[in-house]
Amino acid sequence: MLAFMGRSIIQKVVTLFFVSVISFLIIHLAPGEPSQIDPLNPKFTPEMVERMRTEFNLDKPLHVQYMLFYKNLFTGRIVSWRDNQPVLGKIWERFLNSLPLFVVGTILTWTFSFPVGIRSAIMRDGVYDKSATFLAYLLISIPGFFFAYILIILVVTELHVPVIGMETFGVTSASPLVRIMDRTWHLVLPSILGATGGVAVLSRYVRSQMLEIIGQDYVRTAWAKGLSSETVYYKHALRNALLPFVTMFGMILPGLIGGSVIIESIFSWPGMGRMAYEAILGRDYPVILTLNFITAALVLAGTLISDLLYMVVDPRIKL
Amino acid sequence: MATTANPVDRMGTDETHMPPSRSPWAETWHLLCKNRMALTGLVIFLVFFGVAVAGLTVTSGKDPILDPARVRLQEKLRPPFSAPKTDSLRSEELPALGIYILGTDDLGRDVFARMLQGAWVSLTVGFVAVGIAVGIGILLGGISGYYGRQYIQSGHILFWLLLVLAIVLAFQKILSAAAVLLIVAIAGWLWKKRHDRRVSPLPVCLKWIALPTMQVDTLIMRAVDIMLCFPSFFLILTVVALLPPSIYNIMVIIGLTSWMGTTRFVRAEFLSLREQDFVAAARALGISDTRIIFRHIMPNAVAPVLVSATLGIASAMLTEAGLSFLGFGVPPPHATWGNILSDGKAFIFDAPWLTFAPGVAILIVVLAFNLFGEGMRDILNPKLRERN
Amino acid sequence: MTVRRFLIIAPAIVSLVLIISYFWVPTFEEQTRGNPDRLVQFITTSSGDAAMLNPILSADSASSQINGLVFEGLIDRDENLQFRGRVAHSWKIYEHAFFYINENAATARWGRLDPSGLVSHLRTALDPRTAEWQHVKAVDLLPPEDITHTFSTQEGGEIRTVVLRAKAPQRVRIVLDRVDPMLFERLIKILGDDYYNTFDPAVDVTAEPDLPSAQLKAKARALMPPTAHNPVIEFYLRPGVKFHDGHGLTAEDVKFTYEAIVDPKNLSPRIPDYEPVKQVLVVDPLTVRIVYKRLYSPAFTTWGMGILPAHLLNDRVLAEEATERGQKPDDFNMRQSRFSRHPIGCGPFVFQEWKSDQHVRLKRFDAYWEGPPNYQEYAMRIIPDSLTQEMEFYAGTVDDYSVLPHQVARLKKDGRFQSFSGTAFGYTYIGYNMRREPFDDIRVRRALGMAIDTQKIIDYVLYGQGEKITGPFVKQTDFYNRNIAPLPYDPQGAVALLGKAGWQLGGDGYLQKNGKRLAFTLITNNGNALRKAILAIAQDAWKQIGIQVETDLLEWSVFIQKRVNQLDFDALILGWSMGIDPDLYQIWHSSQGGPFQLNFVGFSDPDADDLILKIRQTYDHERQVDYCHRLHEIIFAEQPYTFLYISRWTALLDRRIVRAVTGADGRNVYKPIVPTKTGGYTFHFNQWIKLNRPPEFSADG
Repeated sequence: MLAFMGRSIIQKVVTLFFVSVISFLIIHLAPGEPSQIDPLNPKFTPEMVERMRTEFNLDKPLHVQYMLFYKNLFTGRIVSWRDNQPVLGKIWERFLNSLPLFVVGTILTWTFSFPVGIRSAIMRDGVYDKSATFLAYLLISIPGFFFAYILIILVVTELHVPVIGMETFGVTSASPLVRIMDRTWHLVLPSILGATGGVAVLSRYVRSQMLEIIGQDYVRTAWAKGLSSETVYYKHALRNALLPFVTMFGMILPGLIGGSVIIESIFSWPGMGRMAYEAILGRDYPVILTLNFITAALVLAGTLISDLLYMVVDPRIKL
Repeated sequence: MATTANPVDRMGTDETHMPPSRSPWAETWHLLCKNRMALTGLVIFLVFFGVAVAGLTVTSGKDPILDPARVRLQEKLRPPFSAPKTDSLRSEELPALGIYILGTDDLGRDVFARMLQGAWVSLTVGFVAVGIAVGIGILLGGISGYYGRQYIQSGHILFWLLLVLAIVLAFQKILSAAAVLLIVAIAGWLWKKRHDRRVSPLPVCLKWIALPTMQVDTLIMRAVDIMLCFPSFFLILTVVALLPPSIYNIMVIIGLTSWMGTTRFVRAEFLSLREQDFVAAARALGISDTRIIFRHIMPNAVAPVLVSATLGIASAMLTEAGLSFLGFGVPPPHATWGNILSDGKAFIFDAPWLTFAPGVAILIVVLAFNLFGEGMRDILNPKLRERN
Repeated sequence: MTVRRFLIIAPAIVSLVLIISYFWVPTFEEQTRGNPDRLVQFITTSSGDAAMLNPILSADSASSQINGLVFEGLIDRDENLQFRGRVAHSWKIYEHAFFYINENAATARWGRLDPSGLVSHLRTALDPRTAEWQHVKAVDLLPPEDITHTFSTQEGGEIRTVVLRAKAPQRVRIVLDRVDPMLFERLIKILGDDYYNTFDPAVDVTAEPDLPSAQLKAKARALMPPTAHNPVIEFYLRPGVKFHDGHGLTAEDVKFTYEAIVDPKNLSPRIPDYEPVKQVLVVDPLTVRIVYKRLYSPAFTTWGMGILPAHLLNDRVLAEEATERGQKPDDFNMRQSRFSRHPIGCGPFVFQEWKSDQHVRLKRFDAYWEGPPNYQEYAMRIIPDSLTQEMEFYAGTVDDYSVLPHQVARLKKDGRFQSFSGTAFGYTYIGYNMRREPFDDIRVRRALGMAIDTQKIIDYVLYGQGEKITGPFVKQTDFYNRNIAPLPYDPQGAVALLGKAGWQLGGDGYLQKNGKRLAFTLITNNGNALRKAILAIAQDAWKQIGIQVETDLLEWSVFIQKRVNQLDFDALILGWSMGIDPDLYQIWHSSQGGPFQLNFVGFSDPDADDLILKIRQTYDHERQVDYCHRLHEIIFAEQPYTFLYISRWTALLDRRIVRAVTGADGRNVYKPIVPTKTGGYTFHFNQWIKLNRPPEFSADG
């Protein structure tokens, strides 16, 4: 166990190192040096180019630049080009904004996928299953931004309620309850949008897991014992079907940054996805590289947690 | 890592097969006909393909029948199915079909013509990107699955290092040095090859060349792990923003960032197929590796790969639309469904067709690809197949 | 059982919580839901962030919007565009006119006279009891004075400092109680035709180091012009006006504001407006006297400039701030000061908070001299995306919305909103570089204009939200000459006119002259959809009559810095945003045609130059109107621009916003918001308030 963990961590650190090298190379080997990019951009003042050169140590050889950048990153000294603020502080601030969106989205995904998926499996090939399947495919196939605009238009034209941003502008003087509820309301649309894809995929997965388990011998035995369908499905089958999902908890982590770019842009949500988008628009390399690095670290941490959880829940597996 | 592989991907190969009463293709077709969703998906897919090809022919060329770039400012934001105001238009400005089937946009361009043009672009983006991804995936997955247990020797690394160095030097215009390196590398490789055939031990001073370093499989799987660490949409966005805007860049980048699934998948297929009796028999007959791979293993692995490619096309089209939406997509003059939607969103209250036409079109086509792909996956998966 | 129940209850609870939250959120109908303060907030949007909250430095519209509320000028214009006092409650405009005693000349009426004799004769002649001289208050003789003037010249790359020393002769000063630009012309019949001309100022001038005599003469003449008008404006400040920090506003602050503007260190974009000021004098704490070097009628308007607090921005305070922030006090100027992000003025709203790219918040100023505004808070949200602005307006979290042309028809009818429209102060045009072939030919410029169907642009590009114009003046003012008919849309006529100019249709379908095609490039900036559309229309229209037109869309900075400022273009599409004052010097005077100047088309016409100068020297409205009409005619005849249109704007407000004024009986009376003469609806902004339900007004309004 410990040996596995040690090996696994070393492996992940090596992977992370390669990720950092590759992302650094991508930024650097893109056509033109960072300092030459877009000289026509009015935001690219000579002062900024100069700051960039010192920040990125562009006059030094590539490997030295790399070392210096990551040294600065780990000591927390890396600053954004746009406003000269420490990148880590900025990311933390945005992270706190993204967190509620992520949490509510995840809760929605997990609470809805299971009932839908299980029911689909139980009623295999019935009308419910067929329509749930079709709906799942529909949700996977709908372009997120298109769906977002449909929802926004419906809400704005029918309910006349604000949906953009983290809270209604100007409610700062309202009571705490109102403010909390207001913030909750602003979470509704973006988290629904964030959850659609997840619900669709996860419910399909739950369905196939359940189907596989239902076909197993011990479930057949349970039936033979004359147990109620309730007990068979929800006690015997579900418990075993749940196993792989425990490991998926680990894989949620990277979702914090990944899929939120479009949704956060549409809803003007000051979160990490939007930050990533703004950083790309403003060619704010320190922010881009740091975000990339953090995501990669989260992915790796996620897989590590998955592996460990799997070991914990399934005694058959020895790594 | 492998623990998170989608169980639907796992192919049941250990089932006892009954002799098929029909040929595999006929069997598949029969099952497909029974799965109405997948069949609908296939039909829509074929229709879309036809529309895209037809769209290409009627919207391109010097004097296209339906000109997607024709600006008619006096015909701005006309709703779908409206007839042009003939008095203010010159004859060559009139839409070929007599009416604007899908209305016009804020510059008076015919949305129908733009959608037709966009269909082809979306299709190309989807197919080329997935083609690249599947190509890389099959290559790496195949190597990893078939030769996975072999070790990379230091000599191999040296060879590739020399090759890369030669290429770098060639780019730096130091051609003579590059040529020397290239010759050294190739000569070394040929020498090693000949030496291997003679089965004599290497001279002591060159022993290190044959030193095993790591398994091919490990190398490729680590590469996959590394690539999976990148947040893919963010990565694509970054690279697309850095490169000059071009439709080809987008295809290549989407392709280069989505080959990991196929690789793992093909590797798994190869790993299991390699151990099958018919492969062992073929090997015992002394058939060459290439022949075994392409004649015996590949045909058995290709169907599920194609299925996942179908799903890949769907997601590539969504990615392209998302990029266009954020303003990093295919640059004008190419119309794509993504940028029609993106341009139209400012008019969502006044000209909803600009949002809904491309939005619904993307939805339908992606849905068709998904339904067909998932349906085929179910059909090809004997475990999920209903026994009859 | 429990598992199953949990699986059903969990999603149900989550959905319920999310759905219930809806009932706490304010909607458009019920904006006070949970937030009663919403009625005393005014929330507006801007697509760009403010740049600098300092009225003398800012140039962008978002900053001006905030500065207009935080700062206040001495005067502004009322509903009828007449001046009205703000920080100044009244003012007086008069003149000191001077002329040098010319010892060489004999007067026409009295022959040769010594200076004191001349003055005493003049005193009798300029009798205030006569109709002609009723504005004369005094005639004095000023003693001779020694003038020292230092300037630098550049010769062959070397900069030299020259010191001029002059013994100026005695001078006659005539004090008038109004500005009289014709004074010296009328004095000619007393002093004689040559009295001014023969005055030779170079006699008593020495330069060190020496200058060539021609140069010396010119310098001397500039230093000692024979005659000089010195218009004077005296402002009487309102007592008790306070800055937001409680500090009283005095004449010193006015003087400080002027000095800050003209201080080259601050790089204020408003320097040209104040260049004619000779001197700003603090007469007493509530009286400030501004003396001008010469006649300059736009001068008065410039005092609408927000007044800065001297005690927060003077050199000592700035130096302290620089030291505190570790910068050299010498390099530190007002631009870098934190004042620009935390402004303090004397306007109706107090600055509260500025979050970059998010919002600027203001609070009302309770000690505002005119009484505090009804709104407690003013917020400007920065929302770049117009669709988001629109949606926030529909949701009631923004109080106004600028309607895009294609939405006007739909939104004007909407009962939830009140709409206002008016004509913008800016116009859009196609400008031709008159230094280049073929635009040096007036017939070509005219023909190009005739080939463009402006009405089509207005109807289809602007959805009818625009009007044709024929010249550079603001159409709402009487300076605009309404008798000029727009150029006809006449492509055949254009071809004929080009034919007269020597351009004949060649075999390839293009117009040619001496084997050269009529070809040029039309450029404009990227990011403006209207200009892009016009670009396409103009290209198409000109192609129809056989002109080969290339088009180019350039980034704004490249467009301005590389092309316009360097005068490197054939033709361009651009717009001017105009003030009410008819001064056109910077855009149309021939002296302003160099690189980095605004007359980049190179318009040059002696009659026009003369009229432009006269307009800015005339204080009489009727006469100004007359000059403007003539200038308008000349510019129209010359067609240096193809004047296209001015657009109409439409703005929406929530219908529940009204004016609340205290009636005669001391109770609040609600009145509808009515636009002023120019269409501006925000004039009574300080009286605005939002009600809980749409108001019903009594018949008398």
